[in-house]
Amino acid sequence: MNTRRTDREPALTPAVWIVCTLAVLSSVAVALRPDAPRPDLLLWTFARPHQEMYAPVLEEWNAAPDRPRAESLLLTTDALQRRLLSGFLSGTPLPDVVEVHGGIAAQVFRGPVEQIGFLDLTDRLRETGLLEQFNPPSLTPWTTRGRIYGLPHDVHPVLLGYRADVVEAAGIDLSSVQTWDQFVHVLKPLMADADGDGRPDRYLLNLWETNPELLEVLLLQAGGGLFDAREQLAMSTDVNAHVLATIASWTTGPDRIAINAPEFDAAGNRLRLDGVVLCSLLPDWLAGAWQLDLPGLAGRVKVMSLPAWTPGGRRTSVMGGTMLGLPRAARDVERAWSLAQQLYLNRDIARRLYREAGIVTAVRTFWDDPVFDEPNPFFSGQPAGRLYLEQAPHVPARTSSPYQRLALAALGDAALGLKAEAERHALHRVEQLEPLARAHLAQAEQRVRQHMARNVFFESAGETP
Amino acid sequence: MNLRARMSSALAHGLLGAAALLTLAPFAYLVCGAFKTRDAFFSAHFLPRGAGALGVDWGGLTLDHLARLFSDPSLRFGASLLNSVFYASVSGVLATLCAAMGGYALARFAFRGRAAVTALVLGALIVPAPLLLAPGYALVHRLGLLDTFAGLILPGLAPAFGVYLFRQAMLNAVPPDLLEAARMDGCGEVRLFFEIVLPLCRPMLGAFLLITFIGAWNNFIGPQIILQSPERFPLAVALAQVKGIYGTDYGLLMAGTLVSILPVMALFIGLQREFIAGLTSGAVKG
Repeated sequence: MNTRRTDREPALTPAVWIVCTLAVLSSVAVALRPDAPRPDLLLWTFARPHQEMYAPVLEEWNAAPDRPRAESLLLTTDALQRRLLSGFLSGTPLPDVVEVHGGIAAQVFRGPVEQIGFLDLTDRLRETGLLEQFNPPSLTPWTTRGRIYGLPHDVHPVLLGYRADVVEAAGIDLSSVQTWDQFVHVLKPLMADADGDGRPDRYLLNLWETNPELLEVLLLQAGGGLFDAREQLAMSTDVNAHVLATIASWTTGPDRIAINAPEFDAAGNRLRLDGVVLCSLLPDWLAGAWQLDLPGLAGRVKVMSLPAWTPGGRRTSVMGGTMLGLPRAARDVERAWSLAQQLYLNRDIARRLYREAGIVTAVRTFWDDPVFDEPNPFFSGQPAGRLYLEQAPHVPARTSSPYQRLALAALGDAALGLKAEAERHALHRVEQLEPLARAHLAQAEQRVRQHMARNVFFESAGETP
Repeated sequence: MNLRARMSSALAHGLLGAAALLTLAPFAYLVCGAFKTRDAFFSAHFLPRGAGALGVDWGGLTLDHLARLFSDPSLRFGASLLNSVFYASVSGVLATLCAAMGGYALARFAFRGRAAVTALVLGALIVPAPLLLAPGYALVHRLGLLDTFAGLILPGLAPAFGVYLFRQAMLNAVPPDLLEAARMDGCGEVRLFFEIVLPLCRPMLGAFLLITFIGAWNNFIGPQIILQSPERFPLAVALAQVKGIYGTDYGLLMAGTLVSILPVMALFIGLQREFIAGLTSGAVKG
């Protein structure tokens, strides 16, 4: 056999050589890199701004001689959800303190109360008097069957953000607007078709039936919602039917006032910048995001309380939310609890949270901080923080049901079905649409109930301890 | 060239040009986005419009995002780049070697159960990867390999697709008579594999190595689940962390994405001939 190299092609192609060289060099570099020491207390969070705000507190914590070394780990929400559920269900590694948003927390609340992976904080909060410090409605998404499993990070009240430059140039005064009916009546002249293209030049509200989160905001504001205070499904109600019918009348027909301008989307942002959409339902976190993503709106927008559904009704709603919880498997529960308090009951962090993300804290004792009274140039000099805080005690209570996502999807289906039927039969008045809305909501509720009935564990967990 | 041929050529070029435009538009969006200021980001899909030369607002362009990628220590971009190179290259080399060995064994060794093993490999191809995530994660945890590169690389060491691909390549490219002759000349099995078998599969070797390298480079879900420490995150995971919960610095995200695809793009462009040769080898009987 002739195996002399000169007689044959080289065994490895240039591609193989290049990748092999990279493998050897990078292996050496990785092997020589020192490993970071493992922390004694680990905090998981899903938001980079939170991690940056917590850094000085962790630094101070670690500087104390008798404390375990604490560190934070930033994870994407999907990764955090997978790891957390895996840890709760199969014993894979968990942090000692963890921040989660409502969608993740609700999944953890599925099943019997004694199987919930988070530590029950109810008695600790009562005994230490901390319970009184938090805004009561902000505890509801983290409460199931009467027990509290997380410290609320925020309140997330919703105000109405509007293009003050356009509205004021038209000589319209929105301070007298109290209800949604008045809102439509007062602003409707701005929808004139001045350019003669057969379509309104502007739309009054960013709202569409494909965004059920926004629909839920309005249901909650009106006193409705998808679940009642006992976490029982309650979609097919008079209040919900009225709101859904009104929304359908806003998104279709001759009196249409709404347009779809999605957030975090180039096309949606364009509509906002061009003033095609005048008003948006604006939770505090979104107000913060606007200040980062839409500097072109600075000085051209203002916020005001939401118009109520009925005279004297609620002028705000709620959207989104985050909690801090302690897994029951935390290595040192007492130290973890101590760290959790340092992070969430910290005035400096509350200030930074408002300044950097526009979010108002759920700790009522911090609401007197002057930072919330500072004029905000983005909102035309308004003290936006104070305006949000004025509504904070009035935000509606929310569900912590694990079926909230499912119910939300069913609500979206009901809204789509209602709109299709309204267009098919040219029904555009609220009173015409209400019976149809009720029927669509009843069907949606039935579908969700069928899914819920399959979970025998959730039913057995329905008893309050 | 007659008129009909010219028209058909023009039509083909027109269609291909349109397809190329469609393919390249997102890339152009990415490149433009990487250099736009936050203020200018949503002002236009591509370059910011303005009163400058060519109707472009040149003041709306910046190099800040690229500079921040390498200067902001909280992003750990340099470490993530190294992790990606390490993970992709080591995975690529080891997976190619193991797949070639497996394919060679199935193609040219007669042993009891060969048909069953081949069927098992073929069967493994139809199992969707997401189904293996949860058991894979639990297994890696039990082996004590969570948050290690080994926990990430070992499960992908002998991909069923690669083993089967090499089996087919070996059946076509490695004559049994040649192996027999080598053995009669006293060639050992290890030397036989490295000096006779692998050179005969040279194009496939390069192509599969590139496929696994690119696959590992772009892998997001595996590293996101297995690796826990940010200092070990590859680029795909590190970049996902740039996406904010309250707002996203899109320029930074675009710049990071641009930098992350450049190395693999350069490798692919430089070696595309080999890659295509590997994929088409055996396609035409000669």
